[in-house]
Amino acid sequence: MKKTTRRTFLASAAAAIPAVATAAVAPGAVKDNPAFKTCPRARGGKNASRFPQVIVQDQHKEKAWFYEDLIADKVVLVSFTSVKGEKYYPLLSNLVKVHEMIEDRIGKEVQMYTVTTDPYHDTPEDLKALAEKHGARWRFLTGAPEDIREILASFNARGSLYALSWIGNEKTGRWMNKPSRLQPLFITEAVGRLSTGKQHKPFLVDDHSV
Amino acid sequence: MAKRRDVLKAGAVAVASTPAIFGGAAIPRAAQAQLCRPEGIRSPLTEPDSPPVRHYHEPLYITPAMSEVDPATLSPPPDPNRHQRYDEFQPVKHYVQRMTEGLWNYHEDLSVLNPLGFGSLAWMFNGATPGETLVARYGEPVFIRRYNDLPMTEDALIPFGLPYTTLHLHNAHTASESDGWPGDFVGPGEYWDHHHAMMYARNDPNEALASLWYHDHMLDFTATNVYAGLSAMATFYDDIDSGDENDPNPDALRLPGTYGKYDVSIILHDVRFDQFGNPAYNVFDTDGHLGDLITVNRKVSPYLEVEPRKYRFRIYDGGPSRFYELGLADESEMFVICNDGNLLEEPVSVTSIVLGPANRHDVIIDFSRYSVGQSVNLLNIMEQVNGQGPTGRRLEGPDRMPVMQFRIKPLEGPDNSRIPDFMRKLPHVNLNEVVAEREWVFDHDMGLWTINHEFMDPTKVSAAPRQGTAEIWTFRNAGTSWAHPVHVHFEEFQVLEWNGRPPTGVLRSRKDVATLGPGDSARVFYRFDDFLGRYPIHCHNNVHEDNAMMARWDIIPNGGDDDD
Repeated sequence: MKKTTRRTFLASAAAAIPAVATAAVAPGAVKDNPAFKTCPRARGGKNASRFPQVIVQDQHKEKAWFYEDLIADKVVLVSFTSVKGEKYYPLLSNLVKVHEMIEDRIGKEVQMYTVTTDPYHDTPEDLKALAEKHGARWRFLTGAPEDIREILASFNARGSLYALSWIGNEKTGRWMNKPSRLQPLFITEAVGRLSTGKQHKPFLVDDHSV
Repeated sequence: MAKRRDVLKAGAVAVASTPAIFGGAAIPRAAQAQLCRPEGIRSPLTEPDSPPVRHYHEPLYITPAMSEVDPATLSPPPDPNRHQRYDEFQPVKHYVQRMTEGLWNYHEDLSVLNPLGFGSLAWMFNGATPGETLVARYGEPVFIRRYNDLPMTEDALIPFGLPYTTLHLHNAHTASESDGWPGDFVGPGEYWDHHHAMMYARNDPNEALASLWYHDHMLDFTATNVYAGLSAMATFYDDIDSGDENDPNPDALRLPGTYGKYDVSIILHDVRFDQFGNPAYNVFDTDGHLGDLITVNRKVSPYLEVEPRKYRFRIYDGGPSRFYELGLADESEMFVICNDGNLLEEPVSVTSIVLGPANRHDVIIDFSRYSVGQSVNLLNIMEQVNGQGPTGRRLEGPDRMPVMQFRIKPLEGPDNSRIPDFMRKLPHVNLNEVVAEREWVFDHDMGLWTINHEFMDPTKVSAAPRQGTAEIWTFRNAGTSWAHPVHVHFEEFQVLEWNGRPPTGVLRSRKDVATLGPGDSARVFYRFDDFLGRYPIHCHNNVHEDNAMMARWDIIPNGGDDDD
């Protein structure tokens, strides 16, 4: 049974690839540069070409395309840790406070994700236990190690400890980062600052001179 | 734009035709490799190159001086209560600047690529980048109202940066509320007033500043906003450095003069352009951002016609992350007269100058050694392959980067300028006044740039020196492979020791940026006078600054409370 399923996957994958690959030929992209491999990418987003088109899995084993399902056209707060890394450089307790401040927006205007930096060890079950231990109620992502490494690379996250949180608004394509251990208020403020329309907040505490 | 909708539609179809779940790891790697991959880690070495341009094709843009406005036209009028010591230093010159998004001709070969028409996208002051130069004089206080007329974030065409601005007059001795504190930003449709007292620090003419610049300092977005175009220069004159080479005052230095003619300000920004000729920027590289084309006053490797005589060039490294070693192609002599924009005691003869981000050197180049019709190129020979800092190697032969070209034209009149033997005395350093020593360690930790192991928190006061006191500060780069140009607002320093040794040559000067290589440390002398308030200390690799490499320090009233 499994074999058949896998073959079906491959067949459908093969069928899908040419369509995506053809669509991905953007005018004057980076393909002239030999340092780049050409390949099918997600379409239609501001930074679609930057992020890998891979499947990730959250702590509830729900699968998703990383860019198209989780990032594209959304305001997101992406952080990075792992079961092991959390022991040496804890971030989650701080991010839980950030989550509390934007909880009413989570799942609606803002999506919050933590990507594991240790996909070799962190299974969805491990991440579920980690999240529950800290009372973290957002999506923790893992996947095939090679895929997660692609994601980490696209954020320039190197090593097993990486303490920046990236805040992005893929409606506008603008991204910024904040240290994950910074005062939660400032991380929350960054989310408001990059939000657009009614959700935009240049600051949460007015610190202006006179 | 209709095209984009088609693309979106095509994208949607592609998504719909891909199976919802591939099963991730269930697919063999060989097949997975076909799924996506590729762009992977974008490093400065794999960034797409700018479209090809003809070097030395565009004339240098010489930025005009700001033009005054009638203060009666300012509505509402300036509010004296917003500014420290306003009544004492009432403005005599008023200016208005409007920041807008528009198209700027960086280079004809880039401008024609733009489907929007002609030009490259830019954020500008009064329709130009760099903005007009603030040409000011000691004793003539200045008032500048700056309107943020940039589009809202969702409407801005430049895809990086944030259209919220706060303008810092780099190196000026200015009250905190006019200094461009990173949190004092205004959004589209708002304005901010800047008052510059144009007083010498401690009323000592030896503290005169000469070559300054103003640039955006928006919290977290300095690198991108400046890269988008929000920077320009400032020139301060006084009685001896008067900008007039025929000055009858016997004390006048008579340096090559007349702003914009023989006294030329040039600011360098390395920019990478996309296929449409617009500036491109990779925000995900927190080490820094390197451009592959050097722009001078936002023209890609331009040329300037010069007479066979002496010129004063005020050369600014506008960042965000590139270090330069600049020299003439024939390695001929230049005289450095300023470091970080301030006159040295004596000119220093060099064949190249080294600039880190935000460093400035004024040099005198005597073109009389060339004959009419000749040309000489200014080149960058510093190798740098990523935003962390220079490699330490020099570029050679055709690898040297074109910066600009000087073309010799006939002399128009006599050259009455001089290269004086002695210029301005360094202010006296009295170590008996020192009441405290502080150390600032610049380091990297878990993806973060840190100062004293902490990251930028604008509510945290990391040092609170008292007004009227002096301190010794040590800046230390704890890194092994990166460089940090350390900049402290409000006050300049004099180097006491650089890596344990007293400074010589160009380093014996008043400075506002300590360009620290790996492992370097600088011990410097500071005084805190004239104004109160909060100021930042930060790395002037703007990308590091935006990645939290900044701290707040306050000048507090003498006799005040430490916790104030």
